[in-house]
Amino acid sequence: MGSYDQVIIGGGLSGLAAGIRLARFGYKVLILEKHAIPGGLNSYYFRQGRLLETGLHAMTNFAPPESKAAPLNRLFRQLKLSRKKFSTHQQLRSTIYFSDNYSLSFSNDLGLLSSEVERVFPESIDRFTALVELVRSHDPFVNRPWISAKDRLRDLLDNERLMNMLLWPLMMYGNCNEHDMDFDQFVIMFQSVYLEGFFRPAGTIKDFLEMLLDHYRSLGGEIRFRAPVKHFRIRDEQVDTVVLESGEEIGCGQVISTAGYPATLQFMTSNQHPVEADKYSGRMSFVEIINVLPVACRKTLRSDETIIFYNLDEPFDYRRPDQAVNVNCGVICFPENFHDLEVGSEFQLRVTHPANYDIWKSFGPDEYAEQKKLWTVRSSAVVGEIIGNYRQKVVYQDVFTPITIEKFTGKANGAIYGSPIKLKDGTTSIANLFVAGTDQGYLGIVGAMLSGVTMVNNHIFEQN
Amino acid sequence: MTRDEIKDVILEIIQDIDEDSEIENLDADKPLRDQLDLDSMDFLDIVMELRKRYQLQIPEADYPELASLTSCVNYLEPRLKEV
Repeated sequence: MGSYDQVIIGGGLSGLAAGIRLARFGYKVLILEKHAIPGGLNSYYFRQGRLLETGLHAMTNFAPPESKAAPLNRLFRQLKLSRKKFSTHQQLRSTIYFSDNYSLSFSNDLGLLSSEVERVFPESIDRFTALVELVRSHDPFVNRPWISAKDRLRDLLDNERLMNMLLWPLMMYGNCNEHDMDFDQFVIMFQSVYLEGFFRPAGTIKDFLEMLLDHYRSLGGEIRFRAPVKHFRIRDEQVDTVVLESGEEIGCGQVISTAGYPATLQFMTSNQHPVEADKYSGRMSFVEIINVLPVACRKTLRSDETIIFYNLDEPFDYRRPDQAVNVNCGVICFPENFHDLEVGSEFQLRVTHPANYDIWKSFGPDEYAEQKKLWTVRSSAVVGEIIGNYRQKVVYQDVFTPITIEKFTGKANGAIYGSPIKLKDGTTSIANLFVAGTDQGYLGIVGAMLSGVTMVNNHIFEQN
Repeated sequence: MTRDEIKDVILEIIQDIDEDSEIENLDADKPLRDQLDLDSMDFLDIVMELRKRYQLQIPEADYPELASLTSCVNYLEPRLKEV
């Protein structure tokens, strides 16, 4: 039986960041990843010779290297990675689309969003400017009880439609709650998306993950793939041993679990209290359709934006749909639409919609395949109305459902943004067990990685 | 270690945390954080690096002792005497 100072469960971005941080200061650390490759939610796979990315539409929190206090640059310093050598591509621009009359574009320059708000909602521009000032000065990391972002925004903006339009991208990119979001969460997301903005690293998510993995290993960190955890052995109210599905036992001083709180609870209780785990399972999950199109059909489509966040439902509501998928709202992403990316012979169009896990779970194998086809057609009909028809031109297509997400990420109910009940400080009922990642309220790739770093700083470095 | 050696170690650690930090113009008696754009996360790295290199445990209550270069040297001098 091997033994480690720390065992980290999950080789996604929060687990890798936590591992790098520990290995950097000489701790003996092991990451256990149940799949054959790292990345978790943000990973990749190959089909017909194409590398397809999962999860990543864009990274948030863009900041130039000289903005030292920016989250992205703090993260790089904490991981001892060179920010200057990390080459980034900023978004072109993105749009929040509710109708032809109600459409707001934004980029990594807040000036664009401000001028758009002034154009569409001239009566609200002063209130919008005041909101931006408030977001800039508000510290969202103080531990506060949940506050309704909608209540605050009704008060601050006094404009229901503008409020909903601003909320929509932030909810789609990281809200585990239905209908509303926590105001602190709103502030974190507003800063990440509207004040800092979208970018992607040069290269693929595979390159990014390999860079992190190489760095982790060069610092002495160890990782094991295809090593799913079965349960913890708990002695004197401490996790004493991590037991793998294979039966192998690994001794540990401390454990950081990035598997999500429901899965972590199951490791603790060996399935004795599934009801408790249910309480921590989120309801928001998604379907994503990846379309590969020949580059020639770009000019026939509205395809000069990076991301279009559209909603045609009136009234707007962010929630689990009553049907398998709600195609009336979603995210249309062109992952090639970032500054200075090389144009290939094909391009991707990724479309994401809210979806209902329970309905997808209820389908038998044949019906499941049928429903995937059916909803893909319905999706392309609605999206085609916005960007032009592309359905006949698709050369390759793949669809993820909430079931796919649950299978590959371990997130209960395919709820990628985790539980509505956030364990902000990462502590659990077991003194040497901490959780990091999406169940803590940090969002996006930068957020997930900062979560791993912060848990190590707060619970391992400060305490030992 | 002598006071000068300790000072060099601190500067080296800071440079290691942030390759762009301008350590040449540091005022040894003024707070490091104000002069170097360091936040509390970076600051923790100084503590961790001292722990890694010299097995020196600095309790959180003592962090204020590390505020300036001079106070760092004062604090570390007796603790790194044997190193």
